[in-house]
Amino acid sequence: MAEEYVVQMKKIEKVYSNGVAANQGVDFNLKKGEIHALMGENGAGKSTLMKMLFGMEQPTSGEIVINGESVVLSSPSVAISKGIGMVHQHFMLVPSLSVAENMVLGMAPRKGLFVDRAKCVEITKEYSEKFNLHVEPEMRVADIPVGMKQKVEILKALVRGAKILILDEPTAVLTAQETQELFKELISLKDQGYTIVFISHKLNEIKEITNRITIMRNGRSMWVYETEKVTKEEISRLMVGRDVVLNVQKDEAKPADTVLKVRDLEYVNEWNKKMLDHVSFDVRKGEILGIAGVEGNGQKELIDMLFSMDTPDSGSAEVQGKSIIGINQQKIREMGVSLVPEDRMLYGIAGKATIEENVISDRSGSKKLNNGPLFNMKAIHELSEQLVKDYTVLCKSPKQQVGMLSGGNIQKVVVAREFSNDPVLILADQPTRGIDVGATEFIRKKLVELSRSGIAVLLVSADLAEVMELSDSLIVMHDGKIVAYFEDTKKLTDEEMGEYMLGLKEQSPEEIGRVCHE
Amino acid sequence: MSKKRQITFSLVRGALAILIALLVAMLLIFISAGGDTFGAKLAATGEALKQLLVGPLFRVNTNGVSFEGKRLADILAAMIPTTFTGLAVCIMFSANQFNLGAEGGIMLGAFVSGIVAIYVPMPPVIHAVAAVLIGGIAVGLVMLIPALLKVKLDVSEMVCSLMLNYIIMYFIKYLMNAYYADKSKGQIQTYPFLNSSRIAPLGSSPIFNSAKLTVGFVIALIAVVVCGLFMYRSRWGYQIRMIGINQDFAKYSGMKVGFIIVISQLIGGFLSGAGGGIEMLGRYPTFSWSALPGYGWTGITIAILAGNNPLFVPLAAFFMAYLQKGCDMMATYANVPMQLIDIVQGVIFLFFAAEQFLSKYRQKLVVKTAQEEIAAKAALAQEGGNANG
Repeated sequence: MAEEYVVQMKKIEKVYSNGVAANQGVDFNLKKGEIHALMGENGAGKSTLMKMLFGMEQPTSGEIVINGESVVLSSPSVAISKGIGMVHQHFMLVPSLSVAENMVLGMAPRKGLFVDRAKCVEITKEYSEKFNLHVEPEMRVADIPVGMKQKVEILKALVRGAKILILDEPTAVLTAQETQELFKELISLKDQGYTIVFISHKLNEIKEITNRITIMRNGRSMWVYETEKVTKEEISRLMVGRDVVLNVQKDEAKPADTVLKVRDLEYVNEWNKKMLDHVSFDVRKGEILGIAGVEGNGQKELIDMLFSMDTPDSGSAEVQGKSIIGINQQKIREMGVSLVPEDRMLYGIAGKATIEENVISDRSGSKKLNNGPLFNMKAIHELSEQLVKDYTVLCKSPKQQVGMLSGGNIQKVVVAREFSNDPVLILADQPTRGIDVGATEFIRKKLVELSRSGIAVLLVSADLAEVMELSDSLIVMHDGKIVAYFEDTKKLTDEEMGEYMLGLKEQSPEEIGRVCHE
Repeated sequence: MSKKRQITFSLVRGALAILIALLVAMLLIFISAGGDTFGAKLAATGEALKQLLVGPLFRVNTNGVSFEGKRLADILAAMIPTTFTGLAVCIMFSANQFNLGAEGGIMLGAFVSGIVAIYVPMPPVIHAVAAVLIGGIAVGLVMLIPALLKVKLDVSEMVCSLMLNYIIMYFIKYLMNAYYADKSKGQIQTYPFLNSSRIAPLGSSPIFNSAKLTVGFVIALIAVVVCGLFMYRSRWGYQIRMIGINQDFAKYSGMKVGFIIVISQLIGGFLSGAGGGIEMLGRYPTFSWSALPGYGWTGITIAILAGNNPLFVPLAAFFMAYLQKGCDMMATYANVPMQLIDIVQGVIFLFFAAEQFLSKYRQKLVVKTAQEEIAAKAALAQEGGNANG
């Protein structure tokens, strides 16, 4: 019955040049017109397998069969010609070009010697309507929100004739509503005969949308199931080999003095959009204040202001009474502010440096780590070994390159650094985005533990379950404004949150004002 | 990959690179070799290769092969300026600053040190030290131009420093013509350096009887160690490297990115300037350079070969000096045209610098090691299972 498969990957092995055996004898099959979930913890080998299917990496051994024909996918362009398209977790778009130009990149319609821009826009609109994926063809990719970037990526693959779509963690960046929208699109694509590989860590989504599941562990494909025949709990256990308690246990918060005091922050971005609109709130010692909201509603800008990556037009922000506006990151860190950045590859780590070099980046000048003009190497080794141990970073040694670790372990390195420098305030921006269940659980527990030890935590997360579960109290941002404040997150429902997040409902100024504890 | 396999790979790769380069070189030499018959041509080629390979260290003649200490000393002497420029480039490139100013830097350092050596009398030793330091500081300050322009106005340091080389060269030529030339001499040169400023030869033992090999060689080696410590054992070197890898990360971590970028180029400028001073006061009686000496360009090659690691700079500098000497020998004793020398040098360098060279063989070794590791782990797990059971 081999004919029913559009893709067969047989006994795939992949050893990277750094010696990591990412795939060891993996079998993976796709049926035509199915949505197939590929699951596994970070480092289980999912991305590697998909990169090989998309021709970005070559298998060390094994065979790939597409539509009954054995193929060598030597590059993505070969894979595309075989009808395979991929939407990466980290988007592969040219930020300085428009949406339409990105769509037709490499196959742009011409008018004489020049690219026919009108035609580009036309094609984009046509596909956008055909597949009901709304994008703004004329905007620069750098200026569009994450959700739209993803749609551009999907359309890009479709324009190139993809029949098999690989989506690497497509919902990691989306809100509940956007996710539902995406699911509708995917199902309609499926009904039109498209085959979709869906990589995700979210069990609910997997159950909701996929037909079959392949579960990988330690570089091997372990199990294949019909989705309806397996429970969430079973999947979770198969993935990590143990039952994961995603419910973080936490004691009652006992908030004390205000640590972070933000008043009337306003910011208009360079395209004249008001990103922060009179944002005021307090974060107190010993509490986790969550910020929920659809991505692109000012959360990123807010964090930028609080870590001085940008300067607000007006308003104030103080940590323990001292202003943090317009000073450099060194001073902000000296005041005890830590940031787990949203984009860990860009800000969180120096990929080609070692784990050791990455965990000391914020304290390379500290007395503890220096002996006069030279480093105290012993102290540095001790510190890094301790952190690797405490934060269960999976690595051969602290001398290993950070960039070679899996996403979850990279994030653990970031978190190890940010949590271990005696902070008074932790800004955690999407701390568990796109990382495996085990690492997620670990980081969430740590956040709760730290807050209970008297640290103020500001948590920004697009993962609604995370922000509702971890936060003691919660604010919702919409269109750069705080539209709701909930003193107690326990009684909240997803639906209620959704209404605030989409701007359907808004609390009165008095209700919102309670977030300023004066 | 295991340590042993890694070393095996490096050795095989290095040997093969040289072998292939030699084959190509042989072919080229053969084509251009003198002689009418095939045999004569072959003999001439063999002679040329011998000069290239062993000529730098040994005298080859009918009596056999004899070690020539002077030639080794010449090679070591040739390493002095290029070690300094190599270090300078290493540090600037590590910060991801493609400053090409080491070339002009070494000329300016040589000039400034020379001027101090002529016009500012001081006691011996102190004079030389002061002249070299002033030369270094002067170039360090000049490197502030590309560095500050980069940090403040985002001007490309590459373009700026490249142009700066020529500005420096012509500025020195102007100063020489207008003010400092000894008009009594036929060529444009300064008055002689005061004796107190001379950097002494390393010694006059019979093995190293070269006047060119000065104390500067020892200073260069000390500089290598200091730079190595600076880059891998100090917070500033660490910050330079982190900025080089990921500038956004460095800024987010609280490093003063702009400041460190400026510092890296200041240090690079100082090293190339000091190297120029040491070269000038050790080897020449007067300043008479009328063009860029080329040591800065060689420094870039050396830094790339050394992978921006200061500790590997002497090895790379030795390799380059040996190659140069071998080519000189070939030109002198085997009648190989000078143009061909450049090609041979290029081919050898090409294979050494080609990162992907033999990558398939490397991948095979990697796979083998990984499979062994997996097997070992499985065996261990089995054992553990049995023990538990």
